Amino acid sequence: MKPRLTHQTRQETEATHHHEARGELEFETVEALLRHDAAQTPLPPEIARRLEAELAATPPARAPWWRRLFQR
Amino acid sequence: MALPPPAPPPPLPPTAPQGVGLDFAALYEAHARAIYYLALRLLGDSGRAEDAVHDVFLKAYRAQAGFRHAAEVRTWLYRIALNHCQNLLGSWQQRNIHPTATDELLERAGSGGESPLRACETRELGERIRQALDEIAPAYRILLLLVADEELGYDAIASLTSQTPDAVRGKLHRARKAFAAAFARTA
Repeated sequence: MKPRLTHQTRQETEATHHHEARGELEFETVEALLRHDAAQTPLPPEIARRLEAELAATPPARAPWWRRLFQR
Repeated sequence: MALPPPAPPPPLPPTAPQGVGLDFAALYEAHARAIYYLALRLLGDSGRAEDAVHDVFLKAYRAQAGFRHAAEVRTWLYRIALNHCQNLLGSWQQRNIHPTATDELLERAGSGGESPLRACETRELGERIRQALDEIAPAYRILLLLVADEELGYDAIASLTSQTPDAVRGKLHRARKAFAAAFARTA
């Protein structure tokens, strides 16, 4: 079963309608479709693990010289 | 069709060393998912999107000392992500590398958390969106992905895409039409 996209040219996003009885998703705007897709897309936890390892080995960033000058 | 429960939040990277003003763990928690989705749909491959998000946050971490707080953090991260993804796409184009949907499908099949049916349905919708986005002009693709983020205003999108808010609104109308037509063809 394929979700059906009903295109409308409204500027504002409309709500997404879920037609559970027909087992079909219907989206009133492209943005609603993409938001639904984004909500269904989990963030892989592996990224955080890799970042954690990398940041642990990364020295803290220094403020630029002009900012350090004004902070005195 | 019932919606699946939201995915559990990922573990957070450690809080960045203090002194430059950004709480990196909070920043990651608030924005990583949006950045990942942008990268996934721009690059068309989950493995490459993972690498891109990792690189984007690493760049953000290293560049945070130069971050101007006048700009929204989310817009700043989007700018880094867009530049990074566009550079990757440019270099792949030069080397004729095309991520394959099949690789991504196999990769995801191994990740638990969803029933096979739900995975299949989610996969199908995501694949159709990927195909439709691939068919439309890159400028439209970026515009739609940015506008889909409710936390980004037209001014931020205009700034990210180097055009006026009015131009964004005008192009958005055409982008929606192009996407809808392309999406219909994937059915």
